[in-house]
Amino acid sequence: METILAGILSTAILAGGVLALGALGEVMAERVGVVNLGVEGLMAMGAVTGIAVVLAVPNPWVGLLAATLVGMLLSAIFAFATVVLKANQILCGLALTLIGGGLSATLGRPYSSTPAPATFEPVIIPGLSDLPIVGRGIFSQNILIYLIYLVLPLLLYFIMFKTRHGLNLRAVGENPSAADAAGIPVTRIRFLYVTLGGALAGMAGGYLTLAYIPSWSDGVVAGRGWIAVALVIFAGYRPISAVLAALFFGVITALGFVGQARNWPIPAPFLSMLPYLGTIGLMIVPVLAWRKLRRWMAAPDALGEPYYRDVR
Amino acid sequence: MAWRLQRFPVAPPAVALAARAGAIVAALLVSSIFLAIAGLNPLVLGAQVINSTFGSDFGLQDLGLLVTPLIFCGLAVAVTQRIGIWNIGAEGQFNMGALFATAAGIFITGPTPVMLVVIFCAGALGGLLWILIPTLARAYADVNELITTLLLNFVAALFVYYVSTGPWRDKASHMLASTFKVPYYVPDLWGTLHWGLIVAIAMAIIMAGILAYTRWGYEVRISGANPHAARYAGIPVRRRIIAVMLLSGAIAGVAGMFEVAGTIHRLQGGISNNFGYVGIMVAVLARGSSIGVIFAGALMAVILNAGIVLQTKGLNTNTVLALTGLILFFTAIGDEFAHYRLVRSRPATSTS
Repeated sequence: METILAGILSTAILAGGVLALGALGEVMAERVGVVNLGVEGLMAMGAVTGIAVVLAVPNPWVGLLAATLVGMLLSAIFAFATVVLKANQILCGLALTLIGGGLSATLGRPYSSTPAPATFEPVIIPGLSDLPIVGRGIFSQNILIYLIYLVLPLLLYFIMFKTRHGLNLRAVGENPSAADAAGIPVTRIRFLYVTLGGALAGMAGGYLTLAYIPSWSDGVVAGRGWIAVALVIFAGYRPISAVLAALFFGVITALGFVGQARNWPIPAPFLSMLPYLGTIGLMIVPVLAWRKLRRWMAAPDALGEPYYRDVR
Repeated sequence: MAWRLQRFPVAPPAVALAARAGAIVAALLVSSIFLAIAGLNPLVLGAQVINSTFGSDFGLQDLGLLVTPLIFCGLAVAVTQRIGIWNIGAEGQFNMGALFATAAGIFITGPTPVMLVVIFCAGALGGLLWILIPTLARAYADVNELITTLLLNFVAALFVYYVSTGPWRDKASHMLASTFKVPYYVPDLWGTLHWGLIVAIAMAIIMAGILAYTRWGYEVRISGANPHAARYAGIPVRRRIIAVMLLSGAIAGVAGMFEVAGTIHRLQGGISNNFGYVGIMVAVLARGSSIGVIFAGALMAVILNAGIVLQTKGLNTNTVLALTGLILFFTAIGDEFAHYRLVRSRPATSTS
């Protein structure tokens, strides 16, 4: 029993990392009022970049950095179109997903099913790793999970909710004209956070191919970008909740693996459906069960709306 | 007298059309640059695409086979756009329509004309059931339909994979992942091209008529343009949303049915061939117009066909998705630009 629990926790944390990074990036974009539906495409590009770079330079950090930069570059293009030119965010996001999916499949063809020569190896923390369950589950993981589950969400929480700058950035997402009138640079803040959020989505892709599934194949992202977008809604646009939700989805994924490994009488494709069905269930059930939750889950007021200074 | 750019709330249709043409040119230019970097001559490739598509009867028939599902999927997306909803799950509804149609074809026997009607209804039912939960969630709990419909695409693909490799697998066939043959064929129109194309065009015309000339269509359009005003005027917006979404799912399901009963004749993994995603592009190019979907579908079919030519050059089939994405991206930007007009402003007076 203990080994099963430790195994589930360990897989859940590993698998949830992709979703957590993607969701944190999306929280950044949506809090300033921009829906970025390109997360799936950004992840795919990050994933293929990670593997391609590591094949040339066998250092996972270089690969992860490259994946992050690619995510940043592509989302800067997205931000230019949606924030500066004010093009439709949904269309541009879908376009980014299609471009990322298609381009990564094209670029990744030579690397298909090649294992990554350098990956993020588990780091066993002396002492703590001997603890029951959490020892194997938490303290024998790759080093990135501390960044993903602790440093980034706490940092984002602090910036967003405990600083003046955070108040400003939330104001940009809630009421851009009021923010503009108060002298907050709406366009600059939106551009900055959409780009940084996209960088995290790219990093999520790099994490996928360098730490979680250490190889590339077409379709390896498999909807994780979309699940990350859904988690943001479910988490009420809050960084810490987003990471917890991602961990919960890691558990669902891990349960599917346990089922396959232990030969549960459920065919594998049905177990693979669990994360998607779980996401849909979690988007629907809480709102139905507890109406008060709707206020907690409320989206930033100006989400998805471009800001025109001269149109009143 | 000074000229300045002013944003208008509505874009004139002619300008929006020009913006689309510009977007396609821009997307082709950008992808040509990438192809040139990859060492492929874009002009030679373009000539090959045109030659293989329009150069022979076979190419034209193939084009027709691609246009058919694209018109259905484009219609499915376009009709929801009219009421301000995004169904980006046409891919999944296509798959489920194909799956239900296959089930009807395998397990029910009867004379072909009757069976084709049964299979048609089964396909529509499959698509409808697949959008049912996102529809109810959207209508009664305001759950974002964009994400729920999309996530179900992955589930539907897994479902198709399961039945075509598992319980319904045709062990006599050498193909690893394909079901038994559906023995009822949609009649052929010209060569391999079947009557699905005519049904698709007819459905587009009927949809355009319903939306433009009936009370129901009017209420749908008003609900999309301004839900608050619609509710105030006594239009049951929620019921219209439910009806439109279910109709959309059924149309996408029919696309899957024709792919099974008309083109492939069995269910196999990857049968949806990104038609659902390219259908979004078709609807956007058509600006939600049902008649426009016919032309946009034809255009996107040429681009999908280009993907097949690219595949023979050692590029991935999904490369064409990137091209579709580029067109979508530039269309979105062009659409925004179409709202701007040069206006002559009066010299500012101190009184105003």
